[in-house]
Amino acid sequence: MLEVENLWVRYGTVEAVKGVSFSVPAGSIVSLIGANGAGKTTSLRALTGLVKPGAGELRFGSTSLVGLAPHQVVGLGIAHVPEGRRLFPKMTVLENLTMGAYRRSRADVASTLIMVYEHFPILKERGRQLAGSLSGGEQQMLAIARALMSRPKLLLLDEPSMGLSPIMTAEVGKIIRQINALDVSIILVEQNAMLALTLAQYGYVLQTGQLVMQGKAQDLLRDEGVKKAYLGL
Amino acid sequence: MTPALFVQSAIIGVSLGSIYILMALGLTLMFGMMHIINFAHGAVYMLGAFVIYYVFFQGGMPYFVAFVASMVLLGIFGYLVERSIYRPIKGGIEPTLVALLALTTFLQAAGYPVFGQLDKHVPPVFPGTRNILGVGISIERLMIIPVAAALVIGLYLFINNTRLGAAMRAIEQDKEAAALQGVNVHVVNGLAFAIGFALAAASGALMAPIFKLDPMMGEQPLLKAFIIIILGGLGSIPGAILGGLMLGLIDSIVATALGAEPAFLLSFVFIIMLLLFRPTGLFGYAS
Repeated sequence: MLEVENLWVRYGTVEAVKGVSFSVPAGSIVSLIGANGAGKTTSLRALTGLVKPGAGELRFGSTSLVGLAPHQVVGLGIAHVPEGRRLFPKMTVLENLTMGAYRRSRADVASTLIMVYEHFPILKERGRQLAGSLSGGEQQMLAIARALMSRPKLLLLDEPSMGLSPIMTAEVGKIIRQINALDVSIILVEQNAMLALTLAQYGYVLQTGQLVMQGKAQDLLRDEGVKKAYLGL
Repeated sequence: MTPALFVQSAIIGVSLGSIYILMALGLTLMFGMMHIINFAHGAVYMLGAFVIYYVFFQGGMPYFVAFVASMVLLGIFGYLVERSIYRPIKGGIEPTLVALLALTTFLQAAGYPVFGQLDKHVPPVFPGTRNILGVGISIERLMIIPVAAALVIGLYLFINNTRLGAAMRAIEQDKEAAALQGVNVHVVNGLAFAIGFALAAASGALMAPIFKLDPMMGEQPLLKAFIIIILGGLGSIPGAILGGLMLGLIDSIVATALGAEPAFLLSFVFIIMLLLFRPTGLFGYAS
């Protein structure tokens, strides 16, 4: 469904991503793990047009994503939950969700909202509250729900567990599984490698902008190097 | 100051404040979304007034038609400025400011050969005065208040109740997140330019029958609008409305009581005092 080939991204004089390739089969969860500065976030930002790749090919189905603006990428069915959630804090929960469906018709918005509320009942209760007043966990739920409002085929999640308690992290994990069960493919970027590899079928390990290892998630979980470097075991 | 004089200058103050508000709204909207100060706002005000001169006075069209033409033409101009100046600069704030300053100078300088060296005058649209609480107020000045109020309410409804309005608020809060929801940020920024320019044109068009017209006529209202958005809090629409009314009242009442220069001085003293206690302005917030 998604193919990334030899992606290079540069910020000023710093090469943030140096020739990374990965692919996401339809219906799967693929995870990118690695330390801070490994190039995970930058890879996602290149996919949705927030940064321009220096080189490389990005194909979604048969469409090339290179040179597209973020709003065009959303239109193709790719939703991106950026690092730090990036909600609209002075809008209500409902307004945030409606923004997620910006390119869709009003009738679509109503039916999608019903579906989203089934998965996130708390957001229905909090509908009139300002997004900025939600707890960290609720904000993460809202960020994911907002992305679902565009009815994506592919969902990019950047550090969904950041700053959350272990209980909330488990809750987010459950939600990610539920979304995947709706036939939405997912790229999960995480520093919490344990969470990422438990959820994903396939994993890629990035280090200072380069791909250093890849494999089935269960194999990576058993790998001694991965255990030592990323799982703290 | 007699009570009658006070009432008269208060009403004129509200009328003046309405003009200030129309100028300040566009500035604050554009600042909130793009973090730029539109230096060309005064020149747009001037062009808005000259559209009235040519379409209404010279062209003999009804004032209402000229007024709408002024807003539409300069609104389109605003969109084109976004397209041809702001967008190619790709969000660089300082280069944008310099480019807008250059545009201002160009429009003002071009005004003299195009419009002529002599001041222009537009005959009154609503001649005569009306008696309010025993004092006569020019109908021309009174009419400004409902027109400005209608535009402010229209803008408010647009921003809070439409999809494009929501996109504008989203850009103001997080431009990148807005783009990730599918907002075409360029187009919506262009819309903000168009709205800001159209409102500045409206204030120029409303003032055209009251003041003389010359290419530099926008400088004073531009300065007032700067003061207002700082007073109200940069990016705040309620702040621009309250700030505009306050400055209009100070300008009119103090000028009537003490003269124009003390009023000018006093408005600055007032703002400095306010900013000492509330550095972010009336409705501003620290970012």
